[in-house]
This record gives sequence, structure tokens and C-alpha cells, in this order.
Amino acid sequence: MGGLLSYFRNLLGSREMRILILGLDGAGKTTILYRLQVGEVVTTIPTIGFNVEQVTYKNLKFQVWDLGGQTSIRPYWRCYYSNTDAIIYVVDSADRDRIGISKDELLYMLREDELQGAVLVVLANKQDVEGSLSVAEVHQALGLDALKNRTFQIFKTSATKGEGLDSAMDWLSNALQNRK
Amino acid sequence: MYTLLHGLYKYIAQKDEYCVLILGLDNAGKTTYLEAAKTKFTKNYKGMKPSKITTTVGLNIGKIDIAGIRLNFWDLGGQEELQSLWDKYYAESHALIYIVDSSDRDRIPDSKEAFDKMISSNCLNGVPLLVLANKQDIPDCMGVREVKPIFNQSAHLIGRRDCMVMPVSALTGYGKIILVISFDKFTSHSIVTD
Repeated sequence: MGGLLSYFRNLLGSREMRILILGLDGAGKTTILYRLQVGEVVTTIPTIGFNVEQVTYKNLKFQVWDLGGQTSIRPYWRCYYSNTDAIIYVVDSADRDRIGISKDELLYMLREDELQGAVLVVLANKQDVEGSLSVAEVHQALGLDALKNRTFQIFKTSATKGEGLDSAMDWLSNALQNRK
Repeated sequence: MYTLLHGLYKYIAQKDEYCVLILGLDNAGKTTYLEAAKTKFTKNYKGMKPSKITTTVGLNIGKIDIAGIRLNFWDLGGQEELQSLWDKYYAESHALIYIVDSSDRDRIPDSKEAFDKMISSNCLNGVPLLVLANKQDIPDCMGVREVKPIFNQSAHLIGRRDCMVMPVSALTGYGKIILVISFDKFTSHSIVTD
């Protein structure tokens, strides 16, 4: 009986997936989180600690954690890694100076054992800013060619305009459903 | 002692691993092909629905165990701006699958151009090559007889490496999902499967 119930529950896709939104400070993580949840641009202040919200996207429930990205609190990201299904890594495409730091943080993070099975989505955010990096440039700057054991996708987004987030979530929900 | 036995077991049980790169223009069907191959050769694997496959910007991986070896597939995005990233993967590839959309006659020259650029790379010297004329399910598409001569024009670039052109339809599973691969002189594998 229980098996039958959980079968139907799986059909409805109500298992909650745990997703982390990570990235440097000022990349737009909190804006993305609330854009996903309420569909609006909210005024944010730098996150110290975390925001966690439940986001429903096409029958799938996600528990989305947005962690603060400032240098001093980045070491605490690792406390949240266990049981993570997916990582949304947000990059400020207009910030060419700090993309190197972003790369180091990403590669450092992906070395963690607990994240070996997690799906990775890279959001090249702030595409509305003129002179922002293209997808190929972000790919190169983040050194993503070194990631040969992991499926990942890069999406151009603009959190303030709401562009690109839908296709990213589409892909992510497909990838998560397909993973099992 | 345990470590020794464990090491021995691992040595015996280990499989040779090879990396296969899947390239081609955007919308050629690379991801669909990879999903079809994964579905076919992995037990209990339900492939992604073709309708849910979107443009790849990044990397899809696939692991297939076949004929006692493990193949790691890398499926890259084919859009023009992403083609500059292909060469990052050349050095570690043991085989290449190049997919052509046979229904899109207008872009065949583009495909050929990308192909020429790719095989001219020094890192790919001697790497066996499989060209797939995909989308054979679409009426009025180019048959393998039409596609082959186009890529044969690059014979001087292909040189002496193993090369084969095959018709497939990743969507319907038509044709053989074929892997013809002879990796190096010492461990020569040819895999042909229905």
C-alpha cells in the first residue's frame, strides 16, 4: 500500500528537490530566488546567512537555498552541501575583474564529495548590462572544460528582466527527473 | 593484505575507458543521439523524451559499458559561438562522432566547414571518426549516398584514420546505432551493434 502511494506521489512529482544557489556576492542570487518564487523583482540587501524558499515549478517542488556570497561567509557554503540535488551557480557576467575568483570558488566547490551527484546549472546573469560576457566567454573564464564528468548547462539570464530563467528551470527539472 | 587483494580485484575488474566526443552543428541531433544510445545500451535507463531535449549550451555526458569497455561520451553544444570550445576536448578524445542533419541542405556547407576545421586539428591526428547522417526519418532528406561524397572531399584532411559514414535516425532508432572504433594499435576494438 505504502509502495503504491509513493508510486503515485512520484508520478505527481512531489518529492522535494534540494537546490543551492551559489555565487559571488552581488551576482544576483537573491534576486533570482525571489524571481523564481514570486515572479517579481524584489529589493535585496547583501545576504548574510541564507534565504530559503519553496519554489514550485511545473509540478516539481524545489527547496531552494540562497546562501550569502561574501568572501568571509563563503567557507560556510560547505555546511549546506549534503543531500543537494542541484547547484545553480550564478555569475555576474558584467564583472570581468572577479570572474577569476568565481572560477576558483566553483572548482573548489565541485571537488567536494557530497556534490558529486549534483546537477550543475551555470547562470550567466546580468546579460542586460552592456558589454557583459557571452556564453562562450563565461565557459572559458570559468574553466568549465575541466569538468569532464558532469553534465552541466550554461544559460544567459537577466534576473531583473526575468529572461532566461524559465529555460534554465525547464532544463533543470528535466535533468533532475531524468537523473534517477 | 586486504588492500593488496582489493587492489588485485580492482585491477582485474577494471575496464578500459575511452572518451568519445560527439560534435556537429546545432540542431543536428547530438543530444538526441546520445540519449538514444544511452537508452539502448543501459539497462533500466529511461531516456529523456526527445521533446524535452533543448539546445545544449554546456556539456552532456553519457557512460556506456559495451563489449567489456567503458565509453564516456561528451556531447557539446554546436552553436557557432560554442564551436570555439570544442578544441578544449580534443586532446583527451579517443574517438569522434560527427553528426550531420541530413534534412537541412542549406546548412550542409556550414557543417562541412566546421568538420574541416575540426579534423585539421593536430590533436585529432589518427583519431577514428564516425560521421552520422542523422534524421533519416524525415522525407526528402539526403541519403548516405549524397552525404558521403561531400565529406569525402576532405579526404586529404581525414588522411589515414578510420572513417565511416552511416545513416541513422536518432529519433526513431532507425539504422544501426553503430560504434566503430579502433582506439589504438595495441588494443584494437571494433564495435558494431544493431
